[in-house]
Amino acid sequence: MCVSMLSVVFAITQGSVNLSPYAVWQALLGQGSGLNQTLVLELRLPRVMAAFATGGLLAVAGALMQILLRNPLADPYVLGISGGASVAALAAILLGISGVLMSGMAFLGAVLSTLLVFGLSARLGNTATMRLLLTGVVIAAGWGALITLMLALAPPHKIPGMLYWLMGDLSYASTPWLAWLVLVPTCLILMPLGRSLNVLARGPLQAAALGVNVKSLERFVFLLASLLTAIAVTTAGSVGFVGLVIPHMLRMVLGNDQRLILPASALAGGCLVTLADTLARTVIAPEQLPVGVITALLGVPTFLYLLQRGRL
Amino acid sequence: MVNPMRSLLSISALLLSGWAFVSNALADPICVVDDRGRDVCIDHAAMRIAALSPGATELIYAAGAGDNVVAVVSYSDYPEAAKSVTSVGSHTRLDLERLISLQPDLILAWGTGNPTEQIETLERLGLPVYYVEPHEFEDIARNIDNLGALAGTSKRAKEEAKRFRTGIDVLHERYKQAPRVKTFYQVWDEPLMTMNGSHYISKVVDLCGGDNVFADSPRLIPRLSQEAVLLKNPEAIIAGGMGERNANWLEKWRVFADLLATQKGNLFFVPPSLIQRPTPRLLEGAQILCEKLDIARARR
Repeated sequence: MCVSMLSVVFAITQGSVNLSPYAVWQALLGQGSGLNQTLVLELRLPRVMAAFATGGLLAVAGALMQILLRNPLADPYVLGISGGASVAALAAILLGISGVLMSGMAFLGAVLSTLLVFGLSARLGNTATMRLLLTGVVIAAGWGALITLMLALAPPHKIPGMLYWLMGDLSYASTPWLAWLVLVPTCLILMPLGRSLNVLARGPLQAAALGVNVKSLERFVFLLASLLTAIAVTTAGSVGFVGLVIPHMLRMVLGNDQRLILPASALAGGCLVTLADTLARTVIAPEQLPVGVITALLGVPTFLYLLQRGRL
Repeated sequence: MVNPMRSLLSISALLLSGWAFVSNALADPICVVDDRGRDVCIDHAAMRIAALSPGATELIYAAGAGDNVVAVVSYSDYPEAAKSVTSVGSHTRLDLERLISLQPDLILAWGTGNPTEQIETLERLGLPVYYVEPHEFEDIARNIDNLGALAGTSKRAKEEAKRFRTGIDVLHERYKQAPRVKTFYQVWDEPLMTMNGSHYISKVVDLCGGDNVFADSPRLIPRLSQEAVLLKNPEAIIAGGMGERNANWLEKWRVFADLLATQKGNLFFVPPSLIQRPTPRLLEGAQILCEKLDIARARR
């Protein structure tokens, strides 16, 4: 909690323009020069908030997916959710649509993909999660092909924007509030469900034996994770790696108790993306990097280090 | 005792003089129409201009307002003086913080190059945005005129615009009756790319009495196979590219002995910096391209 507060504060004080922490503080209080206020309140603050919320959403979605699929490789994107969103967003870019409409299309794409996967794998028995996983992977591959097709046919001047979106980029994020409106209630809803989720993580048969309504819980978890991913993708494009690595890291450190893991994921994911985006904005300023590159570059060595220490 | 009538009069006089003062300060805002047909109005000549594409940078310098430029983007390499202006990132991803901290009073945006979201943010913050997206020769001249008006350097700008218009007219007169030359212009090598008839490079080819063999292609920048080029059998092939040393692209065409352009030796190179940006330098590029097509005619 403290670390996450610090990361947000750090992110707001850093930028390609040097502002002293005092100047930033003044701007936050609505004092100081008009220029500083614009920089901090109009540019930095919304972006940092969007970064934190995106990271939180992705990490929680990843944790949920790993419980649902009982597969350590599951991440929010494995079921094709980001693929659907990407196809819709790239189509929007190709059609010259931007801003809120583009976010809306990305969201619709994510929802469409979710319903597709869910609908196709709905006739199920015990193999439920297996079917779900396979359906998702195949549909994700299909979206991937469509993305490649669109990149190949796109006019050259639109390609940089499309690539940035695919790598995840917070400079598109116009408003962070939608993401926060979803993240906070989700954490509150998941609190009382922690115990059931703990049982579910051990397997559906055990869970059923212990009196958990497995089917409806699984369905709820899937839809919730999809919603979280859709909102995250809508805010920042497909930022990779956060949903996969954050829950694992936390499990190594905190043990496998979902009551702890889920809220911790929200905070740690938020920190990672906030810090990564701060680097993306400043490291080779004035050139700007997509945040997805940084999350992966930061995440991979950290994750490997934790693996080597043998706690997974 | 104060006469109420008199104080009323003096107040209204004060109001009137105040109004006169305000209207003087706002006298004649400078208004021009940009390449998107939007009215761009500013109250006084722009002294701190941000040019968000290399092409816009060239145009604002051509308009004589180079000294007023405070921000450019990467690859703004012409004129030489532009290289020392503060860069605010690449045109595809702007460093808005740095841009705003430079406190520009006019933004020259590139509608198809800059991210829409970022330009919208600048507009939301109240900065006047002028879109630079020339498609015709006349657009280039008009942009120079407009930018000169916005920056208060109309005299220089008008001269430069006139020089450009006259130069293009001279070429038009010289080549409008000239025998046509079937021309393939190679924008890029791998993948092989050209442009269709609505691109301004195709208009340069047309100006010089050339027929762009892919003018009817539905996409602005089509990607091609070599077969498609061989099928069109152009009489001249002109290579552009990115740097200035892509003349080796032409070697690939020498393999095809039956290709008309290869037979006649009409494989030409035009420095891309002179032709692949819609700026006043296009005139120089057009002159070179026209000379090349003249060589092709002489070899008939």
